[in-house]
Amino acid sequence: MIEATLIAEILLAFSLTLALIFAYLAIRERDLIKAIVFSALQSVAFAYAYYLLFAPDIVLAYIAVGVGIYSILLIYGVSKTERYEEV
Amino acid sequence: MTSIVSQALWIYFYITLIGLIAIAVYGIVVRPNLLKKIIALSILGDTANTFIIFLGFRRGGAAVPIIPTIKPTLEELLWFKETAVDPLPQCLVITAIVINMSVTAFLIALAIQLYRLYGTLDVRKAVRLRG
Amino acid sequence: MVISKVRPRSEIIIGLGVALLLVLTLFAVIAGATGFTPKEDIRPLAKFYLYYAINWYEKKFWAASPEAVNSMVWDYRGYDTLYETSVFFLAIIGAIAVFRIPGVKDVFSKGILSGRGLSLIVKTITKLVIAFVLIVSIAIAVHGNLTPGGGFQAGSAISIATLLAIAAFSRIFLEERKITTKLMLPIRVLGVLGIGLLALGPALIALSGIMSFVIQNQPKPWADWGFIPGVGPFWLSGNQFFYNFFEFVAVGAGFTVIYLIFSIPELIYKRVLKK
Repeated sequence: MIEATLIAEILLAFSLTLALIFAYLAIRERDLIKAIVFSALQSVAFAYAYYLLFAPDIVLAYIAVGVGIYSILLIYGVSKTERYEEV
Repeated sequence: MTSIVSQALWIYFYITLIGLIAIAVYGIVVRPNLLKKIIALSILGDTANTFIIFLGFRRGGAAVPIIPTIKPTLEELLWFKETAVDPLPQCLVITAIVINMSVTAFLIALAIQLYRLYGTLDVRKAVRLRG
Repeated sequence: MVISKVRPRSEIIIGLGVALLLVLTLFAVIAGATGFTPKEDIRPLAKFYLYYAINWYEKKFWAASPEAVNSMVWDYRGYDTLYETSVFFLAIIGAIAVFRIPGVKDVFSKGILSGRGLSLIVKTITKLVIAFVLIVSIAIAVHGNLTPGGGFQAGSAISIATLLAIAAFSRIFLEERKITTKLMLPIRVLGVLGIGLLALGPALIALSGIMSFVIQNQPKPWADWGFIPGVGPFWLSGNQFFYNFFEFVAVGAGFTVIYLIFSIPELIYKRVLKK
């Protein structure tokens, strides 16, 4: 018999793993626009983790900031400078 | 049995978070592009915030720190005290998220200005340019 | 320019140091040295806050808000929020100062930014969504002391409306409605000023001899003075309602200013900097 709290913990593990994968992809990606998209996806994964950690206030702030404002500001930054990173 | 799985999962959470910090530090230190450094810095900030929220969490059937009524009875208050998660880390994180955001906006403005003046976002090139 | 592929020694040392730090942190966390792993119980301090947040039976430490997080933000940990608001204010001033180049105007006539724009369907739906976002964010702000939400959340939500307007129409759409940096900067200052006055008001009362302290909300055992928790059917939680509203104004206007200065086309800066 699996308890409800254990299911929540498994979902939390899932969302944190997703965040880890997207963060890795965001750092490795050379196209900055794609990196910003991965970073926004990582924000979504974190927002889900915050929801599972019983923090609705933070979810409200974090969805708007992490997915909306932050991505748009970085896209403005890329459009005003250059798109590809040279390594 | 359940508790062992749960304990393993909690250690896994911390390993994941430390992995996220490692990725972010790698991005900040090694990656040459300034915008990439800013993305890595935001990942680092978010992970630190998640660490802070973890400090206030409560295992086993917790609840949000909000009472649905304006006039709760004494029993409801005692129940609230025994089940809700810690509101203090959440309060600190809410302000931290918005402050992080405004500081990131400032950093992006600086990066754009650097590009206007030097024509590059690569720190290795920008360091060699003078004037 | 050729960039050498060999990593300098300093980078290797930094990498090793970070790796060592991470391993030590992991070891400390797994060993339980930080008192970390969430237990079934929380700290006594948190229980104190949860118990007294809206305790009608022992009013000596209450914050009059059923939302414990909001009573934290604006009552128990008010100083923290005040200073963070000032950091927010200064960071946006910094961004504006960096972008301030003599000769660049931030209000355009229609000629420079003309274009056909997006299709009618997109524009109509965007208008509906903008109206929806405005209503929702105002609701988040004014119900911040009762439900999840508050000034910070609502401010960042309403700035999404500005963003949508810039994306679907253009800056002209906002300028026709008088939403320019010239208007938003004073509004932002008004919001911050409101927060400052609300925080310092009780201290001014203390000058007349009644005991009170900065950012006081409800009466405390050592300061027998406080704001009215609610008027009729409206539950204000003392001054938390007003704090939320002013923070909403300050954050929303601040982010709007940031978008407005970021959305100035780079062409104009290039033209000015070439001279």
